[in-house]
Amino acid sequence: MTVPLKILIAALGGEGGAVLTNWIVAAADSLGFPVQSTSIPGVAQRTGATTYYIEILPEKLPGTAKRPVMALVPGIGDVDLVVTSELLEAGRAIGGGFVTPDRTMTIASTHRIYAMAEKIEMGDGRLDPDKLLNAIAENSQSVLLFDMDDIAQRNGAMINAVMLGAVAGSGRLPISESALTAAIEAEGKAAEANLKGFRAGLDAARATQEQAKAAMDAQARGQIAYFPAPDEFAAFPDATRQIIAEGMKRLTAYQNAAYARRYVERLKPIAAADKSSGADGKLLAETARHLALRMSFEDVIRVAEAKLDPARMKRIAQEVGAKPGEPVAVTDFFKPGIEELASILPSFLARPILAWATRRGWLGKVYWGMSVQSTSVSGYLKLRLLASFKRLRPWSYKFGEEQVAIDAWLGLVARAAGRSPDLALEVADCARLIKGYGDTLKRGQGNYRAIVTRVIEPALASNWPPQHAADAVASARAAALADPEGESLARTIGEIETRGRLEMAAE
Amino acid sequence: MSERSFKKEVQSLRLGEGEVFRGEGILAVTKALLQSGVSYVGGYQGAPVSHLVDVLVDAEDIMSDLGVHLETCTNEASAAAMLGASISYPLRGCVTWKSIVGTNVAADGLSNLSSPGVKGGALIVIGEDYGEGASVIQERSYAYAMKSSMWLLDPRPDLPTIVNAVEKGFELSEASHAPVMLELRIRACHVTGEFVAKDNKRGAFSGQNKLDGPPKFDFNRLSHPPVTFIQERNKVEERLPAARAFIKEHKLNEIFDGDIADLGIIVLGGLYNSTMRALERFGLADGYGNSRIPTYVLNVAYPLVPDELILFCAGKRAVLVVEEGWPDYVEQQVNVELRRADLQTKVFGKGPLPQAGEYTSDVLIAGVAAFLRETRPAGVDVDAVDARAGSLLARKRVAAQQVGDLPVRFPTFCTGCPERPVFSAIKLMQRELGPTHISTDIGCHALAIFQPFNLGNSILGYGMSLASAAAVGPNMAKRPIAVMGDGGFWHNGVITGVASNLFNKGDGILVVMANGYTSATGLQYMPSSKSARDGSATGMSIETTLKSMGVKWMRKVRTYSVGTMVDTLKEAMKTAQTGLKVIIADGECMLARQRRVRVEEAEKLSRGERVAKARYGIDDAICTGDHSCIRLSGCPSLTVKPNPDPLRRDPVANVNQGCVGCGLCGEVAHAAVLCPSFYKAEIVRNPSPRDIALARWRKRIIGWLGGATIEVEPALEPAE
Repeated sequence: MTVPLKILIAALGGEGGAVLTNWIVAAADSLGFPVQSTSIPGVAQRTGATTYYIEILPEKLPGTAKRPVMALVPGIGDVDLVVTSELLEAGRAIGGGFVTPDRTMTIASTHRIYAMAEKIEMGDGRLDPDKLLNAIAENSQSVLLFDMDDIAQRNGAMINAVMLGAVAGSGRLPISESALTAAIEAEGKAAEANLKGFRAGLDAARATQEQAKAAMDAQARGQIAYFPAPDEFAAFPDATRQIIAEGMKRLTAYQNAAYARRYVERLKPIAAADKSSGADGKLLAETARHLALRMSFEDVIRVAEAKLDPARMKRIAQEVGAKPGEPVAVTDFFKPGIEELASILPSFLARPILAWATRRGWLGKVYWGMSVQSTSVSGYLKLRLLASFKRLRPWSYKFGEEQVAIDAWLGLVARAAGRSPDLALEVADCARLIKGYGDTLKRGQGNYRAIVTRVIEPALASNWPPQHAADAVASARAAALADPEGESLARTIGEIETRGRLEMAAE
Repeated sequence: MSERSFKKEVQSLRLGEGEVFRGEGILAVTKALLQSGVSYVGGYQGAPVSHLVDVLVDAEDIMSDLGVHLETCTNEASAAAMLGASISYPLRGCVTWKSIVGTNVAADGLSNLSSPGVKGGALIVIGEDYGEGASVIQERSYAYAMKSSMWLLDPRPDLPTIVNAVEKGFELSEASHAPVMLELRIRACHVTGEFVAKDNKRGAFSGQNKLDGPPKFDFNRLSHPPVTFIQERNKVEERLPAARAFIKEHKLNEIFDGDIADLGIIVLGGLYNSTMRALERFGLADGYGNSRIPTYVLNVAYPLVPDELILFCAGKRAVLVVEEGWPDYVEQQVNVELRRADLQTKVFGKGPLPQAGEYTSDVLIAGVAAFLRETRPAGVDVDAVDARAGSLLARKRVAAQQVGDLPVRFPTFCTGCPERPVFSAIKLMQRELGPTHISTDIGCHALAIFQPFNLGNSILGYGMSLASAAAVGPNMAKRPIAVMGDGGFWHNGVITGVASNLFNKGDGILVVMANGYTSATGLQYMPSSKSARDGSATGMSIETTLKSMGVKWMRKVRTYSVGTMVDTLKEAMKTAQTGLKVIIADGECMLARQRRVRVEEAEKLSRGERVAKARYGIDDAICTGDHSCIRLSGCPSLTVKPNPDPLRRDPVANVNQGCVGCGLCGEVAHAAVLCPSFYKAEIVRNPSPRDIALARWRKRIIGWLGGATIEVEPALEPAE
């Protein structure tokens, strides 16, 4: 007896999963195959994840024959084709038990639409794509994976049309290509774009199947360009040179070559500490990475310079899809506070201003909101004026403050290296807390200070066992990134201190 | 102009005798209504039957040919009350809503309808919003059928059975003089299939063939003592037996025989397909409904027909009752009837199957296996069945472990939604003034309870947010905020909330989200929409209504102005003026706006007219990857991407192609003092000569100054 083919489609609201389902149903219908589809309507479609389920009996039944009883929900271990518009949703289908090695082909787009929980993390909350890809490979009978979003965008089509092409190209659907294209045409709406997307999806599916693994490569992180090693690099192990070169490049652009040399000088004691502690270059590499970022601290000068970057305008024009002869106006939003403005003044001016503003209670309260049309002449000049402060930056208030803070941090890293490479690495990594502008920066600095005074310094001063100290710093840092309200950090530091007291009492 | 248009699909409502109808369950129900000769239809939208209301609206011209009156009611109570037309007159009518919540709202009318009973067939199509995809509390509508003596149909989810249920439902209603509810689960509403159509029928009386006037005064038609005592007796002594006789005579329930005669399965119609599939997985049924275990399908969930039930159970050792949700009404009744008939058949139900939760494929697989384990029928390798169930379920557990905890995708505000900025503002206001009680309502705005906002302390029902804060305000140091949509306002919030608050001299803040539609249910019109469904002005406004009711403190704020909204909220929280403070958060539903604007812009572009289009972006080099902006917005088009900077690890924020240029990210970055990485890029399509001249001059001057601006000419290289 012929059994129905069972298809589970997972998509996000607004991706046209219902239309995709209708195409398949209409095509099956046109061939006289009994077919049934169901879906979940309602609020789930407001950008949530949703599923569609289709059963097709690939056999023309005479009108009088008894109709098959088809299920309205997919069964665990009872699905032939799982088609998902995104990688995480393929993982969800696996977790639901719908993908099994005995029969399921997984057709999924490899791109990611990040879930809210992944996006709102203060650091990096993204799911590991390799874990998903491995789970897909292990649970599927066969796979067809490629970036359907990319193909959709390049062909001016919606992703659902590309998905239909992929399904057609999988060779698992008992429906001819022409029946599917007829369904698209009959639907009418945007048929031309949909047909284009369908064909592109079909081609990609065939090409992918030939290459078999092409799409399995996870998105590669941007490679660091090779940078010739000058003499001064002699002190550094090979593995760290690329990062240090990248840091030098950044700081030369940020300030000048002298500032980049100061960076290299600062790294020399760390290189020595790395070597003596047996950190195998890891401590040096991480410190070099953070140090370059800390030395190129954010200020209005850097922002203005970045906004003036000629490559930027070209990128924006491409982003908005400007065609020749279409003017694009770019507006930038700034809201500097008293601190930001004072920070580019020399210390003798900045200090009294800040003291006065603190007395009035204006710090963190008074801001100047500006929207600057960077593509207009006046807007351009405003940005140029701000950027021109670059030459004076080394004499500015913030520059001085930052250098002191940087040296203090490097001092802690070196001291920690005396205890253990792991602890030093954790201390170095705390630099990642200090980032951003305005409220974000203030929160990060506060968290960093709390970890230094209540965890790192006590750990170094009273000789906590190195592994315990490293764990304490790592957990405090993770807690600082857990919630912007600082509740986890307060709790974690409290626990660390209690434990520290108990251990001291025990000794 | 609802979110989904059925203009094309409704043409199939014109199909005549012998033609094959193909389409969704909801559309099939509508066709069945027309084949039944209804005189009036109505309802209140809500998933899973929102589309039924949409279909009715889109089919209005077809219906007016038949003289069918359509009413898009302002709530379920008014829809239930419509059925009052069938009490005294031979008018067939059908109303629809989402259950359980809609039935709760309608309950008063339903009690008063079912007591006198009906002369014309009265059908209520309820979308049983239960299980996956449900958006309401999980309760069964069954209780209403029992307590009010209305009959409840739960047909097998295939189109011919559903259509038959509608047609027979009217006859049943008329034969027993009781209203009939037809329950459709979420997936059944959208199941596709086909059936052989009949001609549409004109009602005995309708808009085309009107009644002359009312009959002679008849006390029995009024639900008022003393006749209510007689009516109570009528329900059980006359209507119930009449209903049972009709159900039996017309074989509304179905019995399918099988060779394992000493066992049986009693299944509610709606769960039949899933149950058959579970049996099929164990080789106990084929794919065509031929089951080895005899099956009794209750297409009528209430009332049960004792004779039929006893006949089915006689000679059986045990039966499995498959009914979803709690309480186990059917199982209880089966036990009682078997006891009365002194049959010793053992009844399984809740036990092998769980007391609560949806009966998904794995639940039924486990349940059927457990039933077989308990009963060990001859000729079935129960151990093999058990092993198969065990391995299927174990495989799922292993797979789930392998992928680990995956982030849930909660529904959220659409890209550019005008309601999102209000919650950004509430979050910013609370940063300064501290948290306060927020009573939430039903509607899109309830999505603020999810990340990244997590705002809301209670949800009490549609239009109830203000009323639900009535006893919070007087007991809390800070003013509570009630959030209500304009849909909820007209659904009942204006009376239960506003009138009650003013009448009791309440304090507190009411934020009304005025987006112009009942958006969560699919963009239906409501009283303060710009226009009614025929395009004419509604003539109703929230502002004038509130003013005439006596609201003294009222502000209307454009929702996207986050700074103004924060200030307005702060003022409302701090002002010494007591009494209700209403903020009308004004912003048209972006989904509706985009649908309109996209068409308008496409037309303008094709005519060669100037179109300026804005979208937002983020400079990678300036974004530091803290994602504060996302935590204060949660816009779907505001996402993250790998950091292109080789020295940085945390992903940077990114505005994707979905951006509609609402401007919220810029407003939030501004109001919250986040970071200067956001920019707005406005592109001019079909630029005017002035646009081009300006761009050229700017390029020339800035170029001379040593800078770069966006090229106007020569042409940009196309993106690869």
